[in-house]
Amino acid sequence: MTAEHEYPIVVEGLTKVFKPTRRSKLPEKVAVNDVSFHVRKGEIFGLLGPNGAGKTTTIKMLSTLLIPTSGSAKIFGMDTSGGDEKRIREMINLVSGGERGLYYRLTGRQNLRFFSNLYNIDGNKQDALIEKLLEIVKLTDAADIKVEDYSRGMKQRMHIARALVNDPQILFLDEPTIGLDPEIARDVRSLVRQLADSGTTIMLTTHYMYEAEELCDRIMIISDGRNVGYGTVAELKQMVSDTNIIEIVTSDDPHDTVSKLLTERRFVHINTERIAGRYCTRVQLKDDTDVLSEFDSLFSGYGIRKIGYDEPTLEDIYLSLVGSDEH
Amino acid sequence: MNIKAVTSSFRQQGIQFLADPQWIIPSIIAPFMFTVVALYMYSGGGELDSPIVLTAVLGGGVLGMWGNMLFASGFTITYDRYNGTIEPIMMTPTHLIDVITGRSIWNALIGLLNAILVFIFAELIFGVGVSVSEPLFFFPMLALTLFSLASIGLMLSALFVLTRASFVVMTILEFPIYVFSGALFPISVLGKLEPISYILAPSWGVDAMKTAAVAGHESITAFGIYFDVAVMILLMVIYIAAAYILFGVIERNIRNSGTLVRY
Repeated sequence: MTAEHEYPIVVEGLTKVFKPTRRSKLPEKVAVNDVSFHVRKGEIFGLLGPNGAGKTTTIKMLSTLLIPTSGSAKIFGMDTSGGDEKRIREMINLVSGGERGLYYRLTGRQNLRFFSNLYNIDGNKQDALIEKLLEIVKLTDAADIKVEDYSRGMKQRMHIARALVNDPQILFLDEPTIGLDPEIARDVRSLVRQLADSGTTIMLTTHYMYEAEELCDRIMIISDGRNVGYGTVAELKQMVSDTNIIEIVTSDDPHDTVSKLLTERRFVHINTERIAGRYCTRVQLKDDTDVLSEFDSLFSGYGIRKIGYDEPTLEDIYLSLVGSDEH
Repeated sequence: MNIKAVTSSFRQQGIQFLADPQWIIPSIIAPFMFTVVALYMYSGGGELDSPIVLTAVLGGGVLGMWGNMLFASGFTITYDRYNGTIEPIMMTPTHLIDVITGRSIWNALIGLLNAILVFIFAELIFGVGVSVSEPLFFFPMLALTLFSLASIGLMLSALFVLTRASFVVMTILEFPIYVFSGALFPISVLGKLEPISYILAPSWGVDAMKTAAVAGHESITAFGIYFDVAVMILLMVIYIAAAYILFGVIERNIRNSGTLVRY
């Protein structure tokens, strides 16, 4: 197997700078800053990061929609801005989350036929292909209904069907489950896994950590356009091995105490979530001394239900690397 | 060129056009209005003689064709930008201009319907039909003029990819063709601006149509109808080549600036 087939996506020093327009008063924006990674064939590669971190810009550069300012993005050894765009586009496709991107006045079947023609797919093969795609995304019964009458979940599945018309070897998924109800999101994740199992290389961006943890073989976390963590979930956990996680579950909201703790530099991150009527506070700290008794005392007024050390989750790693300090 | 993409875009434009009941406004009501305006303008309250009827009705027809073509070309890109379908199209191996070409051909046919309706309204409602001395020349010239308008529309649609203010651009571009094509009045009255008409393919088409319709009509050159056709086709080829170059330049530009999805 040649290097470009073993690693269909190779990115080196990728940088994108958006220059302000003449009328814009905005400063120059470095959306992606010297990012390098590679993706193996059949792998699901996750790109995580907060809003505006550069995930979508990276995917757009890889999918030939944007030209990098510097560095290179290669798909099967071909530069995405080096004159081979047509060949690259035959082998890739992109699914973006959200409602836009389909022709609402056309039926699902008409949408698929239109895009099949843009990929120059043999007319004799189109009927069977469209039936197969509709079956995969469970939209056979809605094939002849106009897309404007589809629910959000149906539209998202139609996006996936549209992105599969050219049987892509690489599929970019930009927040494919955003806004979907849990059942449909689960179906989409299952479909993504099936595609990867059948040899499709997948690059996924998501805000849902459990989704990334469930699906991705390797992950890259970017913040402000920079790579801040890259590897398998286990490798990423190693990056924060010097960080202890304490989980405290309380009956009352420990907001006041958490606000005070946030001002202390020894804590990497503190986050409180309300789960099933209780307050779950996770504290990350770079301190290997036993601080449980200190926390037991600090949170005692809130009705402690549970307190103890915990293993870091992907979300803990993400928050630690991105350096967020949201409450 | 991906012929499948062109035919599919033609069909898609047709389905979308017919799915929106508003198509009656540009295609039925507008031609009627153009005819009324052109005939009243030329009659000056008096009787209409044959050459004036021809100018008025032909003018109304070209007005209808160009207005329809311009707004349809501009709207097609604006719709894709707004609808978020421009990126999925750009991601395919098909050049965006192939998609626009298919849609432009549909728009051209609707433009032709527009012109034919102008002729029918003039005959049925105002009783001032156009008598054509050389129908075998006239109707092909009408179709060719229409496609020359479509080729200008194709070239301009590249600009619509670039701008979000497509409706402003459309409005600005609507009137120059009315004035400089010679559809509503002879280009000889333009004085120093007359050369602008010579670089517009529809001017040659309108001249050819008048030559075919009115026996003894003085062509804008001494070479007559065949020369008109040759120049019109040459200009159309130049417009289409310019459109291809423009689309290439603009695609590169928007891939650099990341402005494709702004709307």
